[in-house]
Amino acid sequence: MPIVQRSHPITTREPDEIIAHGSSGAIRVDQFLAHAVALSKQLPDRQYVINLAADRYTFLLGFCAAVIADQCTLMPPNRQQQTLQQVANEYADCYSFGGPGLNNVESLDTCDVDAPDVIDVVVPEIPADRLCAIVFTSGSTGTPTPNRKYWETLRTGSLSNVDLLTEKTVGSMNVLATVPPQHMWGFETSILLPLFSNVAVSHLMPFFPQDISDALESLPEPRALISSPVHLDAFLSANTGRIRIDRIFSATAPMSPELAKKLEGRFDARVVEVFGSSESGIIAKRNTATETLWQLATAFELDVGEDGVRIRAAHLPERVVLQDIIEIVGDHQFRWLGRHQDMVNIAGKRGSLTDLNHRLNAIPGVIDGVIFMPDENSKRLAALVVAPDLEPSDILEKLKPGIEPAFLPRPVYKVAILPRQETGKLARKIVVQLFEETKRNKALEDAGPADNST
Amino acid sequence: MQEQSEHEQEVAELIVESLNLEDISATDIEPEEPLFGDGLGLDSIDALELALAITQKYSVQLTADDANIQGVFGSLRSLSAYISEKTA
Repeated sequence: MPIVQRSHPITTREPDEIIAHGSSGAIRVDQFLAHAVALSKQLPDRQYVINLAADRYTFLLGFCAAVIADQCTLMPPNRQQQTLQQVANEYADCYSFGGPGLNNVESLDTCDVDAPDVIDVVVPEIPADRLCAIVFTSGSTGTPTPNRKYWETLRTGSLSNVDLLTEKTVGSMNVLATVPPQHMWGFETSILLPLFSNVAVSHLMPFFPQDISDALESLPEPRALISSPVHLDAFLSANTGRIRIDRIFSATAPMSPELAKKLEGRFDARVVEVFGSSESGIIAKRNTATETLWQLATAFELDVGEDGVRIRAAHLPERVVLQDIIEIVGDHQFRWLGRHQDMVNIAGKRGSLTDLNHRLNAIPGVIDGVIFMPDENSKRLAALVVAPDLEPSDILEKLKPGIEPAFLPRPVYKVAILPRQETGKLARKIVVQLFEETKRNKALEDAGPADNST
Repeated sequence: MQEQSEHEQEVAELIVESLNLEDISATDIEPEEPLFGDGLGLDSIDALELALAITQKYSVQLTADDANIQGVFGSLRSLSAYISEKTA
């Protein structure tokens, strides 16, 4: 029986549409394709590539060239040298693209590749089962866990996202993202969406509020901003002035309805909050200013299993178990009730409190200790520690080597004893009370007479 | 340790206060040590918070174009020089 090899074009866009706003102006789909095809023929002959490009158009180009050349793009969870080196060691047949060099890793700079004059190209077809990317999630330990993305997964997931996130009546949309293209949220929205819908993405990745505002100003309307609650909160608070933004998409952490309403008021925008994970991709959305329920994309089904709520979809290679507690409310709708108590999410990284607590209590000199999230709105973890012979700074130094920096507790308070129950359990409410009390005492102490200071 | 100027002391206090660095006193911040990474160990969430605190206190909007971000946020000295320049 002949094996039917399914394949699909790398983009569904028309040749004369705009796919990106680069450093020297708008880039048409045909120009982009010609460039990507040319680049694909000049890549080092290796199986994997670590795409470090910070310029979003360069990332898009490098990613697509790699897909055409049947090379898999590795996306490390952060840009720390140690993490990059770890990934490069594990996937030894790799080179790096568009970023600073790594030890003993071949690197390719985009400046080495000229844009071709001829732009009459045939749209490359990509086999459905081609491994295109490995997205790593970090976890609290910083040890990257791989999630494999085949072309079929990326393509069908993107078509689902087009359906969920873009309105066909809107026409073209000019998109700016503050999130890195190497993170699943930024990858799906700012790299894959432009291949499958009428979206032109800015090459910029602004950080400071004024830069976000300037970058938006430079884009034609209608505009969309892709970001996270922490970044959007800073953007709003900085008062950089009013600018019209048609859509604001937010993910990586829960957004409060208050923030959504303020953003909508200031920028005449509609705020769309998006729900997903590196394993599943985007699965749902809601208009946070007015809705509490999440609308699940039609490509996905949820069912409750022993291990929690599972996500199923024809294009996912395996079932994904949600790290969240949700209530299925109706046809393709659900209510988010919270994360599993053990899970924390900081700066788009997920970690396990059990693991962090284990590490804290393993430090010599720590008699007892607990790391926890003081309240829902906290941006940081905090710690209470019984360690008569250690200073908080010593404890942090000991924690640092093994964990993702975003999970380092701040503040660390020393206490005489932790109020454990007879079973050894620590009630969250009592921990938070003790924390608040210690914080108040410390504030009083700091404000005390100068002769008490050390 | 090098001595902090009066302005550096003020910025150091803003850093400690806005980022809840309760284990560090403002006078402990070495003027030329890195604030991010291995120095004080600050990250991007801190950078946003700090940028906001600076905007509110000095009415200065930070931008990456003025100099590279690493340069501005490199140390207490470079950050307070940047603020002085923008408010001059």
